[in-house]
Amino acid sequence: MQPPEIDLTKLDAIIDRHKIGKWELIPLLQDVQETFGYVPPETIEPIAEALNLFPAQVQGVITFYSGFSLKPKGKYVCRVCRGTACHVKGSRSILRLMKHELGLEEGETSPDYQFTLETVACLGACFLAPTMMINRDYFGKLSPTKMTSVLGEYRKKESE
Amino acid sequence: MEKLSSIGQLEWFRNKILSRKQEGIIEVHVCMTGCRAYGAAGIFEALTDEVKSQGLSKQVEIRATGCHGFCAKAPVIAIEPMGVQYQEVEPNDAGDIVVKTLKQNQLIDRLAYRAPKTFQPVFYRNQIPFYAKQERRVLANCGRIDPTNIEHYIAAGGYQALVKALSKMAPEQVIDEVQAAKLRGRGGAGFPTALKWKFARLAEGRPKYIVCNADEGDPGAFMDRAILEGDPHAVVEGMLLGAYAMGSEYGFIYVREEYPIAIEHLNIAIEQANELGLLGENILGTGFNLDLSLRLGAGAFVCGEETALMASIEGQRGMPRARPPFPAKAGIDGKPTNINNVETWANVPLIVKNGAGWYGEVGTEDSKGTKIFSLAGKVNNTGLVEVPIGATVKEVIFDIGGGIPKGRQFKAVQMGGPAGGCVPAQFLNLSIDYDTVQRIGAIMGSGGMVVMDENNCMVEIARFFLSFTQSESCGKCAPCRLGTTQLLEILTRITRGEGRMEDIDTIRDLGETLSEASLCGLGQACPKPALSTLKYFLKEYEDHIKEHRCAGAVCDSMVISACQHACPAGIDVPNYVAAIAEGEYEKSVEIIRERNPFPAVCGRICIHPCEYKCRRGELDQPVAIRALKRVASDWYFENIGPQRDPFPITREEKVAIVGAGPAGLTCAYFLAKMGFKTTVFEAQSVAGGMLGIAVPEFRLPRQVIEEEIQYIENCGVEIRYNSPIDAKHTFNDLLKEGYSAVFIAAGAQASKHIGIPGEDEDLQGIYYGLDFLSNIRMGQEVPLSGKTVVIGGGNVAFDVARTALRSGAHDVQIFCLEPRDEMPAWEKDVEEAIDEGIVINPEASPSNITQKDGRVTGIEFTHCVCVFDDEGCFNPTCDLEDSRLVEADNIIISIGQAADMSFLSADSQLERELWGALVVNTNTLATNVPGVFAGGDFTTGPTFVIRAISSGRRAAIAINKHLTGDDSPVYIPDEKSVRHTTTKLALEEESTEDKPRIEAEFEDAKERVTDFREVEKGFTEAEACREATRCLRCDLEKEENGI
Repeated sequence: MQPPEIDLTKLDAIIDRHKIGKWELIPLLQDVQETFGYVPPETIEPIAEALNLFPAQVQGVITFYSGFSLKPKGKYVCRVCRGTACHVKGSRSILRLMKHELGLEEGETSPDYQFTLETVACLGACFLAPTMMINRDYFGKLSPTKMTSVLGEYRKKESE
Repeated sequence: MEKLSSIGQLEWFRNKILSRKQEGIIEVHVCMTGCRAYGAAGIFEALTDEVKSQGLSKQVEIRATGCHGFCAKAPVIAIEPMGVQYQEVEPNDAGDIVVKTLKQNQLIDRLAYRAPKTFQPVFYRNQIPFYAKQERRVLANCGRIDPTNIEHYIAAGGYQALVKALSKMAPEQVIDEVQAAKLRGRGGAGFPTALKWKFARLAEGRPKYIVCNADEGDPGAFMDRAILEGDPHAVVEGMLLGAYAMGSEYGFIYVREEYPIAIEHLNIAIEQANELGLLGENILGTGFNLDLSLRLGAGAFVCGEETALMASIEGQRGMPRARPPFPAKAGIDGKPTNINNVETWANVPLIVKNGAGWYGEVGTEDSKGTKIFSLAGKVNNTGLVEVPIGATVKEVIFDIGGGIPKGRQFKAVQMGGPAGGCVPAQFLNLSIDYDTVQRIGAIMGSGGMVVMDENNCMVEIARFFLSFTQSESCGKCAPCRLGTTQLLEILTRITRGEGRMEDIDTIRDLGETLSEASLCGLGQACPKPALSTLKYFLKEYEDHIKEHRCAGAVCDSMVISACQHACPAGIDVPNYVAAIAEGEYEKSVEIIRERNPFPAVCGRICIHPCEYKCRRGELDQPVAIRALKRVASDWYFENIGPQRDPFPITREEKVAIVGAGPAGLTCAYFLAKMGFKTTVFEAQSVAGGMLGIAVPEFRLPRQVIEEEIQYIENCGVEIRYNSPIDAKHTFNDLLKEGYSAVFIAAGAQASKHIGIPGEDEDLQGIYYGLDFLSNIRMGQEVPLSGKTVVIGGGNVAFDVARTALRSGAHDVQIFCLEPRDEMPAWEKDVEEAIDEGIVINPEASPSNITQKDGRVTGIEFTHCVCVFDDEGCFNPTCDLEDSRLVEADNIIISIGQAADMSFLSADSQLERELWGALVVNTNTLATNVPGVFAGGDFTTGPTFVIRAISSGRRAAIAINKHLTGDDSPVYIPDEKSVRHTTTKLALEEESTEDKPRIEAEFEDAKERVTDFREVEKGFTEAEACREATRCLRCDLEKEENGI
């Protein structure tokens, strides 16, 4: 399946917003990522040009930070927390089960671009351990049953 | 909002806000930050609707606040000014809360905090132990004000510090105040904040920048998040004060993008402060400017390092650079820059507003004030905790944190994340301060505390941290890039059971190189988790490498199921539990006997390490494995009995065993099974060792031991009673008599003495624990009367006390050094003893026994303040002023036992340790004399029966190897017994019906103390079947996944 179409015309507006300020590369890329769900490789050159940088510099920043992705992600990005508190409380099994349920490895996106599975160093929600985040929502004190039911909710939402 | 153009206008504005606040308004504070994951938004909505529909909108304010701290019980709400706190609230509780509590002033039981043990409801926040020992200063507003409304912050006294600084203090004075307060960086390093500020103030160059480091990346830390979400203006005000003091015009808050609520609240706070003229140009008309903006992190842990953070702000790859020059001289854009952590900034307004004197009222000499810790992991009350610097680890984890869930043992607390180390149990009394924590190999760090219990593997934890630092290493410098990869590889190898002993030295060497040669803190500190676990848990590393044993039962390659791995004897627990579920008790006992010839004994008195590791325990409660074992073995002896044919003798060699306790008999049993002729020499007229002479009848009936021993004898083991090995008949004689090997398992049966004035063995009324128990067990009359004092906090002390009660003592009291919750005795025995009316007096150190005419009259105790010293060594500290005299007719001393070595002749060739114990190889149990082995309590000191059994089996395997000329080490991996195929266990069950653990019943406490009847009743067969089907069959899961 093809990734969802993106409207590259939005890029100009984003660039305009950040062209004037100082040190705007990262905020600009964050805007791009937010708008398109990832940083489309074809945006690198226009961004570099606008900020008076080499494309390699832009590329270097994109690949350095785990917050940026050059590949499109799924509609629902599931981030399983692998922080200490979650680890101590068994997040390894949660991740194992997520991989099994979604049929994805870490960093992979499902062919229909519905789900992306990621791990994150710490969500700072250690009191809820083990936790995960789907897009901007937190889910805590996960057990295998709870995890499957959360996923089920998202799947249901999709099929409706 | 209108812009405030002078300092006076801010005060005017504050008065206006306060005057609008009506008397008698009830505020309901709903945490809308951390609790949001639990549906706090729904509760907020439901409460608002309910208040409206009850027509209370004018009297009640439902307020969305930050974190209350008590995250374990989320969602939490507080009702002010009543001071009530409700927990685990759901939207459909809104009706009751509004109608009952808000309208009718009634408190709701089901939403209240429950006191541990008594389960009584506690309604008021200041009575909940979690809050009682805290000193909430920085977090004072958190959970009280609406963080998205600047008026709330101002009403609570916010921006008063700014007013004070702008109107009455020169910038230098602000720095002086911070210096006098001895504020140290809360981000981890603990550098004096004022010093940093001075450097920045004195540095030349314009503009100057200040930065708030809110890139809270340490896994396990979430205090910065709570401050940003719950009280963002405190950070803004702190930065304003810093900017004023240092003469800076630009400020950045670098916050990680994983904190969406924090970002939202900061944006609102900055916007509102700008609108009011508290930020921006010409602040409050004083001509002071600060342009404050947010920068979002993009998911790189290393950006928490200050030079990397600055690179990131400048829009580059976030890679650190060498220092000097320090940021104060050349930071962002090469200009003077000052970076402080969120919590540090949030402390500044408190110092300026209240003065350094007030600030320094709490804390230690070198570090004043409070520190916020985020408590997570295996602790009951997870959440945010603010305590004075210098509080002890124990106060934080046990008094505030409520201890470890499910009665498990505390193992260590990890402090400081990937750059920190672990603080093991022996340092519980350590006071937490930058310097003390550093001294023992951890760091206070930013305040993350992840508690670990006995079910965590320390090697695996070290591996976990290294995998984190390895993947977060930016790759700029070679030591860090290559070193983390190497370290990770080694640690992974060890957890996979492929480690080598030389790996341990390699970790140390590599660690040293990394900390000396790496460019930034990430690389320098990353070996710490490995080094500190090596320092305190070396044995776990060695066990992984040599024995393939994982103390936490988590390393996949060596564990089939956690229960089996936890069992010192390695019994295939899931398999025999499955057999019980099928009603196949004989099969079940056979499976147990593959590793342990004492099923009925262990079914009663085993401390069941298996149950503490049971995965079902994570779901609700662990399977009652011990009680199940009892059912099967009781059935076995009732229906089949101890008779059986002896094992055929297929080997020429004969083996002698000294001592017919559980270790000796287990060894004999397995040697007989291997085909050896084995003879056990027992000094007493009965067999069973401690089981026979010390464990009281009411816990382990005589008949049970006799049947088990009969069974072992029937296997072909010969026991020679009244045959001591001593000067007349030495173990050398045994070798001469044709025994090819000897196993010494003589137990630990010499009672220890206290060594205090008046402790005279000949005194009437003084007894020693083990002698007392064995005299009673052997049928001698020990008539006790009157008041009996038992000294000791271990299992023997409790057996003694309960036996004394059954032997005529009217009143029995136990005195021990430890606090109640640290007594080494098994909790089950303690509870049973309390039920029987035995009084426990903790923290009492005996100092003097008084007597009259050769009879005990009493004993004096001093107050034992602390059993272990700062280094974790047994070294009781007592308050000699605080003493009391207790009248007593009998005193029974049970403070421990040691091996009695007197039977070994002085010129014996056996090598001893300095303190007298035999030197044995821990793997083969071999002594320095070929063919002579030693094990059980005799070499380890008193421990639990299952350990003695495991030691006996190990000896049998070692002796067999020795006799066949195999000199490879003993290796005892977990093994599956022959697979029991049909199963109706939980794994296959579809229903999610609740199935709580079945608890065994007890004889009535009042009745049972009148004689020596067995206290615990066994399961019925129906109960056993039901309980056995609770097993989740983790072992099968493993086979399915092919791991």
